[in-house]
Amino acid sequence: MTTVADDVDTARRGVKRPELLGLGALVGAGALLAAVGTRLLTGPIAILALSLVLASVLMLIVVAVAGTPETRRKLAPYGLLKPGMLWLALFYLAPLFTLLRLSLSTLPSRFAVEAEFDWNFDNYVTAFTDFGPQFQRAFMYAGLATILTIAIGYPLAYVIAFRGGKYRTLMLGLVVIPFFTSYLIRTIAWRSILSDNGVATGFIDAVGATWFFEAANIMDNGRLINTPAAVIFGLTYNFLPFMILPIYVSLEKVDVRLLDAAKDLYSTSTSAFRKVVLPLSLPGVFAGTLLTFIPAAGDFVNSLYLGSPNTTMIGNSIQDQFLVQNNVPLASAMSFVLMFIITVFVIIYSRFFGTEDLA
Amino acid sequence: MTTRRPNPFLAPRSALSRRQLLVRAGALGAAGMSLPAILAACGSDSDGDSDSGASGSTPATSGSTAGGGSGGGGSLFFENWPAYIDPTEDDLIGTVDRFMEATGIDMRYTEAYNDNVEYFAKIQPLLGRGEPIDPDIIAPTSWLANRLITLDWLEKLPIDQVANAANLRVDLQNPSWDPTGEYSLPWQTGFAGIAYNSDVTGREITSVDDLFDPEFAGKVGALTEMRDTIGVIAMSLGIDISSLTTFEEAQPAFDKLQEAKDSGQIRRFHGNDYFDDLSNGNLAITIGWSGDVAAIARDNPAVKFVFPESGATAWADTMVIPKGAQNTDAAAQWMNFVYDPVEAAQITTWVGYVSPVAGVRDEVEKLDPDLANDPLVFPDDATLANTQGFAPLTEAVEAEYDAAFSAITGA
Amino acid sequence: MSVPTSRGGRVARFALNAYAGLALLYLFVPIIWIVVFSFNQPKGNYNVEWQEFTLDNWRDPFGDESLTNAFIESIKVAAISTVIATILGSLIAIALARYQFRGSGGLNFLLVLPLTTPEIVLGSSLATLFLDWDVTRGFTTVVIAHIMFQVSFVALTVRARVRGFDWTLEQAAQDLGASPLRTFWKVTFPLILPGILAAALLSFALSLDDFIITLFNAGSLVTFPLYINGSFRVKFPPEVNVLATAILIVSIALMLTGTLWGARGRRKSAA
Repeated sequence: MTTVADDVDTARRGVKRPELLGLGALVGAGALLAAVGTRLLTGPIAILALSLVLASVLMLIVVAVAGTPETRRKLAPYGLLKPGMLWLALFYLAPLFTLLRLSLSTLPSRFAVEAEFDWNFDNYVTAFTDFGPQFQRAFMYAGLATILTIAIGYPLAYVIAFRGGKYRTLMLGLVVIPFFTSYLIRTIAWRSILSDNGVATGFIDAVGATWFFEAANIMDNGRLINTPAAVIFGLTYNFLPFMILPIYVSLEKVDVRLLDAAKDLYSTSTSAFRKVVLPLSLPGVFAGTLLTFIPAAGDFVNSLYLGSPNTTMIGNSIQDQFLVQNNVPLASAMSFVLMFIITVFVIIYSRFFGTEDLA
Repeated sequence: MTTRRPNPFLAPRSALSRRQLLVRAGALGAAGMSLPAILAACGSDSDGDSDSGASGSTPATSGSTAGGGSGGGGSLFFENWPAYIDPTEDDLIGTVDRFMEATGIDMRYTEAYNDNVEYFAKIQPLLGRGEPIDPDIIAPTSWLANRLITLDWLEKLPIDQVANAANLRVDLQNPSWDPTGEYSLPWQTGFAGIAYNSDVTGREITSVDDLFDPEFAGKVGALTEMRDTIGVIAMSLGIDISSLTTFEEAQPAFDKLQEAKDSGQIRRFHGNDYFDDLSNGNLAITIGWSGDVAAIARDNPAVKFVFPESGATAWADTMVIPKGAQNTDAAAQWMNFVYDPVEAAQITTWVGYVSPVAGVRDEVEKLDPDLANDPLVFPDDATLANTQGFAPLTEAVEAEYDAAFSAITGA
Repeated sequence: MSVPTSRGGRVARFALNAYAGLALLYLFVPIIWIVVFSFNQPKGNYNVEWQEFTLDNWRDPFGDESLTNAFIESIKVAAISTVIATILGSLIAIALARYQFRGSGGLNFLLVLPLTTPEIVLGSSLATLFLDWDVTRGFTTVVIAHIMFQVSFVALTVRARVRGFDWTLEQAAQDLGASPLRTFWKVTFPLILPGILAAALLSFALSLDDFIITLFNAGSLVTFPLYINGSFRVKFPPEVNVLATAILIVSIALMLTGTLWGARGRRKSAA
């Protein structure tokens, strides 16, 4: 005997594969929004696109309300994701596409505010040919800084994870707290500390280690600042927590009993570390490397405050092109070249690591 | 990135005498008494402690506490460089407040103009589309004013309402960056020459060649302001910078600078932030601005400024009215006010750059005799003759210069 | 983990601890400098050389009006953007952690992408979008820009925390008759709240601190980092150090409160 409820149920059940609907609505709305944002669609078509986006939201609500609990469950994630993803679509994807379009455009005159899109690849050619040294320096400094953050950060993360005990949260807090002061102020502080008459050089002179630092090319003519070393040092410092935290997270997950088991099997501490802990911590190192290397490669603040004209990085050049030369198409092309090279690095790196888990 | 901004170091030296005068001047200002009469009546005191200078004081209070003005009204927004006007602090009444009292105009004064290039990037999206920006007056350096004039982003100044414009120094009339003189009035002027720390160099410096002396390798600086750095070097190579029209003419200067940078002779390019480096010996010698050095020199007499034998560059920061500004009448009144030698003198004693107003020297002498004799603030004619202003460049040529300079500064 | 008893083992252990301790100290070197120099009376405009001790800066930290205004603007921007970003980001995190659904891989990738894009690209691309749309850059554009990178950050942080959450609790609540909404409010939300708050706190700090992205999108707005950078050419007043130290103290206080509150909660539930 069918009840009214059953009849209603049958009517509701009409929506098959709600997850496809949800995904489709999400992706579709995102794409439309991004297209509108990029000015690919303008005028009445844009209005149409926007109404479609709105309609997709309404439709999801309708289906959710009118559908079975099963449908609701399947649609829930898409609904939850929608606001945030739409935001990203409009304010992350659309700008990137705009930048891409600009990189292929030409400015009619230096101070014009509108560039004309004309598939102009010259900007890319210039980006590759004129800024080689800056790209090289950026990747070299970022690379060295990343290695240093691992060297400094890994042991610290290890100690916190395995020997922190009840002070773990406190120690993590201590790691994070310095970064509640402004990035700029910290860099300026280093500028003062590393200055020619500052504590750092004073200390090095006092212990007679100047010759060593000069030989290692860290000091240049008796000064620490306005050198590549100072820039790398600044980068290392500023990105250290981005390496420590991910490594800590992955170390924390290591089951201590595994180590005990290794010990029971007569392994020494070092090989227990090498064979058990290290491999398990690699996802953390991987994540940390990405979070350090990528922003460091595009940085210009450290070079600005701690460097010399011979240490400028690609970030300085891009900023210069945007603000001083007002050459927005070239700056856009340079930005994409930077992103492209970074992506290549990341792909190679993740193949090498064999992991794709970024978080 | 560029700036040359003055240093309020000059304030303490003349603090007390100026302060006494200005207190009375300010107090009586509201009653409409003329300042020269007050100055004559009070004379000057000079003794005792100095106040600690500018940190923490503001150039103006906005309107409400300025006391009742004499009728009128209207508003004005002037966006200027930092530390470029005498502030209201302790018992002193700053120029902006005195102006508000005298005219009843509600004036907003901000110091957000940090850098010509940055500021241009800010206003370009608006003025480039024909939309107005907030400020009624801004203070670009002469070359930027020239660019704004060429782009037709400025209103003509209501000169007929600025009677005191007649007080403009003769050498600044119809300047190369504004040949008709209709778009700009200088705010302050100055020079770029050689600044050095005699303790570090061990000797007196007179020539630009000393910048390239291997003895100072790694302790030499230069300004990020292209026209000052290239200008000074070009003049030392015998190039006349006031008549430049192409990039090739200045190429030798760029080449020389490039060489110095590649070899590590130049430690870094800087804006105003060379004080501590020069003072503590990180930099032995650099290209610097006259007003800055006058200020540091008082704390560290080893730091000196010299007009190079081959000549120094002369620059001016100018008051211009952006297109679409609403309060041109109020702007005219402001310009008239600050071109009164008496008001201009108050500004000069605090700011320490070279005033564009003729007759300021006599007024400053009454306030601060030492300052009146400072050759960096009141250079004699012979010195002035050995300075040149950088020629205004066309858009295309300027782009070449900028690109070449950026390549050297490493950007 | 067993403590080594051999001499070499102990030395190694000590060395490692010492090394980690040095690393921690290294993190604090500039902070110490900042705090110490907030008590300095600088000779001129640049607070970089120690002259003499003074409490004046602390007595009147808001003396520099433009600096204070910039600071207030920064706080306003951070407050608004953090609230919005936390809401958007938490929703995403819950979706990703709680549900298995098609397209989660791709969406996860999109989420991580902003964090792996260099800041200069993020900043400049947004600026070009605003230019394209003729939107005046200012407070609103800065808030939008901050929300953009904060959303990814909040989502990933909350997701990491929420991963260990026992979703069967929700099932239990619903078996006991609670509606999904009620379940969420009374069961899920309170338990994941600490994670959300931690993420919010960190993203607030990120917003306060942001320089590069803000530089490109601020228009005429001046935030704290922008002000420092802009005015550094003429001055670096001790008030900057005072405000920075104040932020530090407040954040430490918040963290301690959070930890104590969390600890008390655990004690309560254990009791």
